[in-house]
Amino acid sequence: QQTQSNFGGLKISGDQPIQIESDKLEVRDTDGVAIFTGNVNVVQGPTLMRAGRMTVYYAKGAAGGAGAGAAASATPGSGNIDKLEVDGKVYVKSETQVATADKATFDMGTEILVMTGNEVVLTDGPNVIVGCRLTVRMGTGEATLDGCGKGGQQDKGGRVKMLLQPKATQ
Amino acid sequence: MSAAQQDTRRLPPSGRDHAFAGAIRHSRRVRFFKIALPVLSLLIAIGFAGYSWLLTPASVVIAVDGSAIRDGKIVMANPKMNGFTSNNLPYSMNAARAIQELTRTGAIELEEIDARFPIAADRWATIRAEAGVYDDETNVLRITSPITLTTSDGLQADLGPSEVDIAAGELRSPSPVRIEQGGSTISADSLEVLDKGTVFVFENRVRMQVDPRTVNGVGDRAEMQDAGQ
Repeated sequence: QQTQSNFGGLKISGDQPIQIESDKLEVRDTDGVAIFTGNVNVVQGPTLMRAGRMTVYYAKGAAGGAGAGAAASATPGSGNIDKLEVDGKVYVKSETQVATADKATFDMGTEILVMTGNEVVLTDGPNVIVGCRLTVRMGTGEATLDGCGKGGQQDKGGRVKMLLQPKATQ
Repeated sequence: MSAAQQDTRRLPPSGRDHAFAGAIRHSRRVRFFKIALPVLSLLIAIGFAGYSWLLTPASVVIAVDGSAIRDGKIVMANPKMNGFTSNNLPYSMNAARAIQELTRTGAIELEEIDARFPIAADRWATIRAEAGVYDDETNVLRITSPITLTTSDGLQADLGPSEVDIAAGELRSPSPVRIEQGGSTISADSLEVLDKGTVFVFENRVRMQVDPRTVNGVGDRAEMQDAGQ
């Protein structure tokens, strides 16, 4: 079954400055791709994301700038990004909630973040929910966590483990 | 005895005078060559240096306002060099002065470099630097001073000493670099531009700052200020 919760904090808003740090950045202008590798650290306002690698796919033709220019415009929040793919131990933290997973993809168009992995853990204060697929609508912050199916962890309908701290349930 | 000596002894007196005259002519010829040869070799050296400066990659045209030879170097006043990269897009390289050692061709020291090379058919980059050495055999410009690189679409990059392979459109800058375009900046400890300027590899302490407002509102930045955001 699914668990709805408001993952309010996690927003990549279109107008706040973003800072990305990493060990290496490779911008492939013709492929329309910017790949950050090594201790990738993305900060926007209260939201923080850490991962091993983040690949930014920018819309074909939209970037058009020189390599680095394309990279500059190929960043979250800027107009012409298609999607982000993040892997290598993803950790996302907002004011109140933390989510960890193996992989995450964020589609700029639909503003939906999908985090997948053998164990996707969503922590909201003392509450901990574990499943295999967390889908967050960044616009509203609404998050849906799916359990791990009997087969691969990707199919829906598996069991979700939820740990609620009594004090925490207002 | 060599044949010559036998001949003179057998010659009648007049023959001997004749041989003696031959010897004088010979030594005069030697004296002539003793002077002529060094001068000739100097001329050849200069010619070769000039020739190699002019020749460089076949498609390079070089204009020099004036040149002088000072302590074994050719000093050229604001040389202008135009050529074509491997995918035959035009590049140009001007400098305030070019200095070439007479003995060592290939390495031409340039001062106040102003180079312009293509990134794509409609995009180019200009490089300005204080000093550098251009190797016309490998068509590589080794810049030894800080560099400012700007591109036709508004990118501004500050780099340290770097190596620019003009024909291949590649640049290697092992020292810190900072690139800015439309409200975003990227800084890192090193940068390599590969594959004709289409692949940028930043390494070590890469940091990118993006202010989406300016990136999104790519329009007139002044108008953003008036909007008082």
